[in-house]
Order: sequence, then structure tokens, then C-alpha cells
Amino acid sequence: MRNWSILFGLAALFSVAAFLYAPFAAEWWLPNPPGELHHSVSTLGREIDFLFLIILAITGLVFIGTQVVLVWGAYKFTDQLDQQGKPVRPATYSHGNHRLEVVWTLVPAAILVFIAVYQLGTWARIKYPSRAPKVPPLAEITARQFQWVVRYPGPDGRLNSPDDLILINDLHFVKNKQALIYLKSSDVLHSFFLPYMRVKQDAVPGLTIPVWFDSDRAGSFELACAELCGWGHYKMRGKVVVHETEAEFEKWASNRLAEQNRSQLGMASGAEGY
Amino acid sequence: MITRSRFIAALGLAGLLVTSVGCTDSLNAGPLVYVDNEALTHELKGKANLAGKPALQAKVRAALARLYGDSPNQIRVPEGSGFPRGGLTLANHRQIGEGESARIEPIQALLPNGSPDPAHRQAGGFALYRRNCLHCHGVSGAGDGPTATFLFPRPRDFRKGVYKFTSTPSGAKPHRDDLTRSIRDGLLGTSMPAFDALMSPSEIEQVVDYVMFLSMRGETELALIEEGSISDEKDADALGDDIVKEIATGVFEKWKSAQSQVMNPSTPRTASDRASVLRGRDLYLGRTKEKLECAGCHGALAKGDGPSFVPVDVFNMVVFGGDPSTRQERVDALDEKLRTLWNQKPDDWGNPLRPTNLNRGVFKGGRRPIDLFWRIAKGINGAQMPAHYPTLNEAQIWDLVNFVLALEHDPDLLASVPPAPAPRLAESGSTR
Repeated sequence: MRNWSILFGLAALFSVAAFLYAPFAAEWWLPNPPGELHHSVSTLGREIDFLFLIILAITGLVFIGTQVVLVWGAYKFTDQLDQQGKPVRPATYSHGNHRLEVVWTLVPAAILVFIAVYQLGTWARIKYPSRAPKVPPLAEITARQFQWVVRYPGPDGRLNSPDDLILINDLHFVKNKQALIYLKSSDVLHSFFLPYMRVKQDAVPGLTIPVWFDSDRAGSFELACAELCGWGHYKMRGKVVVHETEAEFEKWASNRLAEQNRSQLGMASGAEGY
Repeated sequence: MITRSRFIAALGLAGLLVTSVGCTDSLNAGPLVYVDNEALTHELKGKANLAGKPALQAKVRAALARLYGDSPNQIRVPEGSGFPRGGLTLANHRQIGEGESARIEPIQALLPNGSPDPAHRQAGGFALYRRNCLHCHGVSGAGDGPTATFLFPRPRDFRKGVYKFTSTPSGAKPHRDDLTRSIRDGLLGTSMPAFDALMSPSEIEQVVDYVMFLSMRGETELALIEEGSISDEKDADALGDDIVKEIATGVFEKWKSAQSQVMNPSTPRTASDRASVLRGRDLYLGRTKEKLECAGCHGALAKGDGPSFVPVDVFNMVVFGGDPSTRQERVDALDEKLRTLWNQKPDDWGNPLRPTNLNRGVFKGGRRPIDLFWRIAKGINGAQMPAHYPTLNEAQIWDLVNFVLALEHDPDLLASVPPAPAPRLAESGSTR
């Protein structure tokens, strides 16, 4: 029966190897821009990644330690029978060890308290509405089954005014600039998830929740819904575009606004066929 | 001990088998087939049908298979349907040439190393439709997919070839770009999502092709049923090749001709100043010589609660107040006045209809001024919204557009005028 301990040992080895391999493979690691496997694009994302790595290191070390003890115990104390089929080593019973129990309760408790306290600052910087950046809002995003309605304030900078730009599933902001959005839901719970910016926030019917993020890389990213919200949940994907400069963003916004204000077609279309 | 390990091994093998089989067609309940139009086999009151005419039914099925292919997996694009660009990328196959002599080859996109690319097996309009659209719009485009029952408004049945949000004249087929817009931007306020972030522009074009294909197929089927309903079951020449060809050509021509009939306002939008908005308000309230009856449906406060439709709470009770399959029972339980009103106002597909609340700034067919211009000028196909051009001239329509767009941000616009003395159905309150 010793083979079982070897099997468990191999399983543990495979798990550890997978985690050692992960930081070198884009599909296995955290969502980061191509070519920059270890660069999180957002300021708060880097803090979150750091916390994540600390927890990964702690749990990884504990995992290795417990697996070594487990496999070694299973190997060494495997059952052995003599010629009559009786155990070579009869079982003995002990009533526990008070000191050992205190130790293995206090040490994990201390680690958990450390994790709980250490992340408080990051949590506050990400989630406390009082810590929201003092910038004009980029947009109001209303989740509904099954899309994100993105309302930009338009040229006057005020939301819910006649010059608002309203787009579906299309979030644009500027590089190296704090973006603040107000998140709403018009039906059920959704969750606003920007994997590259490490932002995940539930959209709750009846609440307006400020969410903020930034990016130090321009390019296209992804928006997803992270709360199972109905049959079309998987369709709630959005485009996220980070513009290199403010001017580029303004140009895009004014083009989209011109389209939203379109009152005539540019040219005769569809002369023949489709 | 031994029995248990065998059991575990069997369990593991079963799990492996299930995951390796994955999502192939072998797990479908049956082969993927087009569903017959109900009128082909059922007696429908007031509608042409072929109930009890098996020979003609068989002829319709054979004609459809010859024109459009046997099943969704074996599509044929009929000759003369005129899909010059696109349209020929079918379900994992590519059609070379047109009509019955066309050659159909599997799509074989290759990886750099020369082996077939597994990601490209699901290519073409039908493959995309199957992944993104079928669960609402159904295999035949009848708006009868498995999720359809739970939606309001119901997903569009393509087989009538009627589309609501178009840029072509009232009653005409849509322009191709109208369909592209509906898929790309979605229909806000309905369950139709925007696919801009889910499909590339060329993929959306392929889906447009396939939707048009399903429409043409459905329209041909309906026209054949109509023709068959006045033909003699025993007449060997009934629904002959010539007639089928003529009917199909008629369907294609309607689509083709609509492509050059887009209505483009000759004057740009009037500046949205207060005077224009107030002129629009007078038009809306019927205080001009045109005597428009907008408020009759959309309500004195434009909340979508005019007296020509049942009150909102009654509507909500019938449509949302229980199991969708028992809706008729809830209609039957209404008092006679409400029931009459209810039965007068379905859409062309027989589904319940509701005038839009114009205060919310949610416009299914788009919020661009030109979209609203089209809605007012040409009405909404299949719904009760009538065309107003040329009753109204373009300037008047622009005033109305400005008024409608101003409502969202100026709730007092209508509340501040005394309600027009329109005849109200005073007793038509709720049934409970």
C-alpha cells in the first residue's frame, strides 16, 4: 500500500510545479498586456497583485510543508502484515498534545490576522467612497440584462444633460489619468469586471456606486460581467479602449457625438445589391 | 475494497468520456432541422393554410429544400437572391457559384503548420447565428428559440420579412445597414443585446446575410402556402417549378429594390431651440391643423399610457403577471371593454404591444435624430405607429424629433400644459 503515498507525493509535486510554471506562461498568469507578463496596468492593480503574491507565497509554503509531512507519514507508517496476516505494528492511541494544538491554532491565526490587517489600506484605497479621486466623472455605467449602457457627460461635463453621449458596451478613457465612473443597475445584480485593471464591483439595483481605476498602457482591454445575471450573462462583454492622449480621447468622443447627432445620411448608399 | 476501486474507475472514465465528447452535435436531441411554418400543417383561423393537403405540403417542402437547402447544415443560396458580397460563407462551408449547380466545399482554414485550424470549423453566418442568436430566434428564425418565451418583447420572427426599425419606406424591406445597426448596437430597451463587442464587423455582416437568408426562406414558404391554399390538392401542376420560381423571384426583388430606397431627409435637423420644441409639443398634442393623435397612444404626459391601449397596470398583469403560457386566460378574465381594447392592439406577429414612454430617453430603434425622424416619418412596420410623411413636412417632423428628445430632460414640458380634452375611457379602470 506504499504506492498510495507515492501517488500523493506525485500529485503534490505536480501542483507545485504548476504554480512554479504559471508566472512564465501568459495563459496561466494574471491578465496583463501581451509582452509584459508581470506588469499590471493599473496603480491599484499593482497593490492587489502584491497582496495576491504574499498570500500565494504563504499558502504555497504551508502547502509544501503539509504535503511533505503527509507523504512522509503515509510512506513511513504504511500498514505491514506478518505471515499470519496480523499487523506488525499494532495501533496505539494517544490523547493529543496540548502544546501542539495551541501552536497550530495560534500560528495560522496570527497569519490570518496579519493578512486581514495588512490589506486594510489597499481595500480603503480601492473601495471607500470617501477615497474616490476628486475628478469629474468619466461616465455613468448602467448595467442591464444584458449590456452595459455607458453615458458620458459630453462637452458640458455634466451627466444627465441633453449633450450626453450614450454608448453600449464601449468604455474609453485616457492613459495615466484616474477614471471615475458611477455604477448602477437597472434590473438585477451584475458585476463590473475589468480584469486588466483588477477592478471588480457589483452593480446593485438602487445604488449608485463610485468605481475608479487607471491604466499606464494604452490599448484595448476587456470588460466583463462577473455575476451570473441570467441567460445572457456571457453576452455582457464590453470593449475597453485606453487612449494615449487626452486629445485622442476628445477626438473619439466628438466623432461619436457627431454620429449620435446625425440627422442626414452622408451619401446615397446601397445603389445595387446588398 | 476492490469493488469500490472499480466503481471509482468507472466514474472517472465516465467523466473523461463526457468531457471528451464535449459539445458536438451528437448530444443534440435530434438532427438540426428547419421547423415548418404552422400554416403549412395547421388550420389557422383567418389565415391561408395547407391543413389537409398533404400533396401540396410535400411540394412546398421540396421546393424549399431545392431552393434553400435541406437543413441548416446544408445551406444553398438560391439563384437570383443577389448576395454579391458575403452570403456565400455558409455553415462551415463555402458556396462557389449560384443556384442548384453551385459547388459547396468545406471551409479549410489552415494553421501555419498546414493542418486544419479547429477554430475555423465554426465559420459562416449560420455558425455564428447558432452560437449567438439561435437560443432566442430559433433554428428557422421563427423567434421561437428556447429562451424566447421568457422575453418581452418577444424575439423577432424573421419569416414574415417584416422589420420594425428601418430606413426604407413604410412597409418596405429593410436596408441591409438597418439590420447591421440592430445587431451591432442592439435594440435598447429590449432583450436584443449589442454585438459590437462580441463579433467583428465581418462576422456581423455574415449574420446579416444569414438573417436575410432566413427571411427569404420564410417569406417564400409563406407565399407558397398562400398560393397552395387557392390551388387544388389533386392538380398535378399546382405549385409547379415555374410558379415556385416566380414566387421566389418576387421575394428577392422586394429585398433588392429596398436597398436603393433609403429615406434621407433633404433638410438637416432644425436647431433644437425652445421655439422648435414648443412647435413639436403642439403637434404632439394635436393642436395644429394636422390634428395628430400622438397622445391617444403615448398619453397626455407621453408616458406610454394613452387611452387607445389598456392601462399600464392591466398590461403588466396580463403580460408579466404569471406563466407566459396562461396569458390567454388572463386576457379572457378582463372585462369586455378592456378585452376588446386588448384584442385591437396586437402587433403583426400577434404579440402584445405597448406605446413607448417617451420620457425615458430609451428608443429601441436608436436615439439619433435621423432614427427618430424615420420612426415618425415612416412609422414602425408591424406595429401600430403610423407613417406621418407627407402628412407632416420635414420641418414639422424635425420639430417633433426635437420635442421628443427634449422630454427626457424637461419633465414639465407636458405637465405644465392643461391636458387636452381628449375622449377618455373613464370607466376602463383596472379589473381588480
